[in-house]
Amino acid sequence: MAAVWTDLESLIPQLVLIAFALLLPAVDYLVKNKRILSVVALVPLFALAGLVVVWLFFDLWSPTNTMTNLVELNTLSGLFMLVFFSVGIIVVLSSPEFIAKDRNQGEYYSLILLAVTGMTIVAEGNDLFVLFVGLEISGIASFALSGFRKSEKRSTEAATKYFIIGGFSSALTLFAISIVYGVAGTTQISAIANALTGPTGTFTAIPGSETYLLLGVVLFMAGLGFKVAMVPFHMWAPDVYEGAPTPVSGFLAAASKKMGFAAFFKIFLIGIIVTKGNWEVAAGALAILTMTVGNLVAVSQTNIKRMLAYSSVAQAGYILIALPVGTQYAVAGGIFHILTHAFMKSGAFMVVAALGAVAIGERLDDFKGLSRRSPFLAFSMTIFLLSLAGIPPLAGFASKFVLFSSAVYPAVGSGAGPDWLVWLAVAGVLNSALSLYYYARVIKYMYMEKGPTDRIRPTPMISFAIIIALAVVIALGVYPNAVISLCEQAGSLFPLLPGGPV
Amino acid sequence: MFSGVPIISIIILIPIIGAVVTFCLGKYGKYAKYVALAFSVAPLVLSVLVGVEFLVEPDSTATGYHAGFTTPTFGFFNFQFYEHYTWIHSLGINYIVGLDGISLPLFILTTLLSTLAILFSWDTAYRPKEYFGLMLVLEVGVLGVFSALDYFLFYVFWEVVLIPMYFMIGVWGGPRKDYAAIKFFIYTHVASLAILVTIMAMYFQAGVNSFGMEDIARASLTLGAFGQTFQLIAFGALFFGFGVKVPMVPFHTWLPDAHVEAPTAGSVLLAGLLLKMGGYGIIRVAIPTLPTGAHDLQLLIAIIAIISILYGAMLCLAQKDLKKMVAYSSISHMGFVLLGFATFTELGIAAGVFQMFAHGLVTAVLFMMCGVVQHKCGTREIPLLGGLSKKMPAASTMMTIGFLASLGLPGLVSFAAEFMVLASMFNTWGLWLWLPILSVAITAGYYLWALQRSMFGPLTEKIDTTHVHDVNWYESVPVSLLIFLIAIFGVFPFVIFNIINPAVTIITSLPGLLGGG
Repeated sequence: MAAVWTDLESLIPQLVLIAFALLLPAVDYLVKNKRILSVVALVPLFALAGLVVVWLFFDLWSPTNTMTNLVELNTLSGLFMLVFFSVGIIVVLSSPEFIAKDRNQGEYYSLILLAVTGMTIVAEGNDLFVLFVGLEISGIASFALSGFRKSEKRSTEAATKYFIIGGFSSALTLFAISIVYGVAGTTQISAIANALTGPTGTFTAIPGSETYLLLGVVLFMAGLGFKVAMVPFHMWAPDVYEGAPTPVSGFLAAASKKMGFAAFFKIFLIGIIVTKGNWEVAAGALAILTMTVGNLVAVSQTNIKRMLAYSSVAQAGYILIALPVGTQYAVAGGIFHILTHAFMKSGAFMVVAALGAVAIGERLDDFKGLSRRSPFLAFSMTIFLLSLAGIPPLAGFASKFVLFSSAVYPAVGSGAGPDWLVWLAVAGVLNSALSLYYYARVIKYMYMEKGPTDRIRPTPMISFAIIIALAVVIALGVYPNAVISLCEQAGSLFPLLPGGPV
Repeated sequence: MFSGVPIISIIILIPIIGAVVTFCLGKYGKYAKYVALAFSVAPLVLSVLVGVEFLVEPDSTATGYHAGFTTPTFGFFNFQFYEHYTWIHSLGINYIVGLDGISLPLFILTTLLSTLAILFSWDTAYRPKEYFGLMLVLEVGVLGVFSALDYFLFYVFWEVVLIPMYFMIGVWGGPRKDYAAIKFFIYTHVASLAILVTIMAMYFQAGVNSFGMEDIARASLTLGAFGQTFQLIAFGALFFGFGVKVPMVPFHTWLPDAHVEAPTAGSVLLAGLLLKMGGYGIIRVAIPTLPTGAHDLQLLIAIIAIISILYGAMLCLAQKDLKKMVAYSSISHMGFVLLGFATFTELGIAAGVFQMFAHGLVTAVLFMMCGVVQHKCGTREIPLLGGLSKKMPAASTMMTIGFLASLGLPGLVSFAAEFMVLASMFNTWGLWLWLPILSVAITAGYYLWALQRSMFGPLTEKIDTTHVHDVNWYESVPVSLLIFLIAIFGVFPFVIFNIINPAVTIITSLPGLLGGG
């Protein structure tokens, strides 16, 4: 029994989540007050998030047998899981009001838990197939979630689009996995790296197979690029985020995308790192393209959800900097930005959801005079947007600081690396300035334009969700020390990458 | 007096607490001004005491607070009231603050002008909680910039300043406030980002795993970590970043827009404090850390300074709006700061720092008086005004003194500063002095001409002057206090110079600045 238990220890999160996901429809059948459902859904999320926090930050407890061939519980997966659980909590807290009049609420929460399950599998996955299974579990739950309002045209359209694109990208990913398997003869990520590189650190697989491997790289980039909404595979994101129920949009932007990055980092920076010389320029160009296109298009949006969608495309571009730079320090910066982005972006979406719950639209005009109608919501939104723009002393600044500085490092000092990487930092910085324009415009509408004056009172649960996000965004900005060390620990789990400056 | 007391942190913390209290006043919003005044007077009193202690014990590095940190081994700089706490350990980011002779006058200027600006806004009725709260946030940011000794901390405070100013222009501003606010925000933010990238590059290039200003300067000066090309690029980027804030021609266009639309107190803080941040950055960061780069670009700095001086002055001649004229005059006067720095001599740099202090005092008076005119007459258009001295004798007296101070009347504070800038220019470049000297004539011209058209002569009939009355108490008190200081430091400039000089001596004796070893 004990042996079985230790083997299963790294799968505790998934088992707990699945149990509750199966429980929820039954509870739905039994209870009249549907709010109880959200409380039931919060139980595993809070418990697991608490467990991860206790493990990572306080060192009071740590998992004993953390590694099998397929999954591994380490700082990297812990940080990603923390992101997924926290976003899950924020989204579930914001949902009861938003879906109060909808049917099938039990399934809604059940789907959220299943999607989180898939994400945790990706976070822990150590094997291409495990990653794929995780991506699929989470993907299918997300398709259903975005089409949750069956009678609403926009929602159905979003779900259909998301499903087609998602299916397509899964197929590409699977194809890429099969190619890598063909070349390396294994699907375990660290074993792939070993199979591809010899003791000299150069490509040593079957002669001539490098070409096929590059095809795999391209397919991975496309397949995972869809997941993280990398330009030119980003077209679905604004439509889906706009059409899906707002809490779900927040969930997709803040959590689903991050799952894609977890896969990206593991595959590109561990598994097939030996081919980096072949794709680093392309990855750098795509990163710059992604942030620039995202920001440029965001400028002209008048729908807040679409604007946030394009902004999250741009943020994906920032995170992608970690790939071409490819140092442990850069990965730490990428993970840190993933973490902060999850909170600031989900926070911003939840403000929109809070307004949606009291039947206020999601157009820029609807935000006119919000500071008078609800000082709390306007203030929170301001903090989230300024953090997204990277204004200190907020979390977004701290993480961008680490991320962008990692691109400066190879070009100067003792950091060995191509000089052109510094342009990634310059592009990121210029894009931050550009993004400020549309973030500041929302703030302007909230504080400087005159609008309706009736008060809005967000419900306690959604306020609590926003307060969590707000507290994290401010706390990580003012005192990021502990999280940065954890991110650096996670970065050091990429053994084939050169270290950072520290 | 402050031995063992983290006095700088306390001074910075008080307005933070004040801002939170002010924002949370709820329905007691009408008391916001009293709260804000109380929370700005306290740091003023403390900072003046800090100044007194600095004067009494100018060379004792032992004053202040060293938390678990030995006295900085780096002998180049002599910071006092030094505090050091670890912040982000793995990146070498620390919370370090301290003051020396360059930052101290600006630090006290900040607490002074913040208090006076709050007093001057006594009749603000539109959203007073937010207004006074933001003023205190602004004060925090500027105080932090002038005392931070770690680049990360410095940048955090640098950016914090932007947000309250954006809101002050955007919410309480004039008719084109939207445009002006966003232009101000984007313009200065882009400049900040140039600074940010340079800071990162210097951090890695120095290779000492520290964002401390002293550590990086030490790596540059004693370890020779920065090569000539690196210094040139880094100095250029920093000079651009700080120069936009100064502002230097051709990156000055945000300034008139921001000033014209900002509320009076906003303009006072903008011109009095925010512009000084640019000059301070150049003399605290760019020149001492990158002396070779500074040396290579010396001529460029001087040329930009002289163009700013002359072009700013000529633009003033063409202005019809009183406030816009004062705004452009800031460009001209801040050009003197750059010119002083560009000489790299002890006299020039000290004079540049002194000019920042002097300009802060004088320009505050000018903007306050523009505000008074706007307030009482409903317009600042010079052609619509005239003969106001009959209606508002006290105001016109104050304005006259302000204008005379700004044009450099001997005995007032700007004269001492500008005279010494010009003297140092003569020492370095000889008779090229005739170029900046031209501006003295132009400056006298636009000020006296504006004064004559708006204050003297027959009373205007283009606007209704029946209800125009003289200054209120909350307007005359801050202006009178400033005029008092302008006169005092005009007669006794050496009080400030004695504070500034030792710190400047340290900078000018750094290796590499004048091409020497």
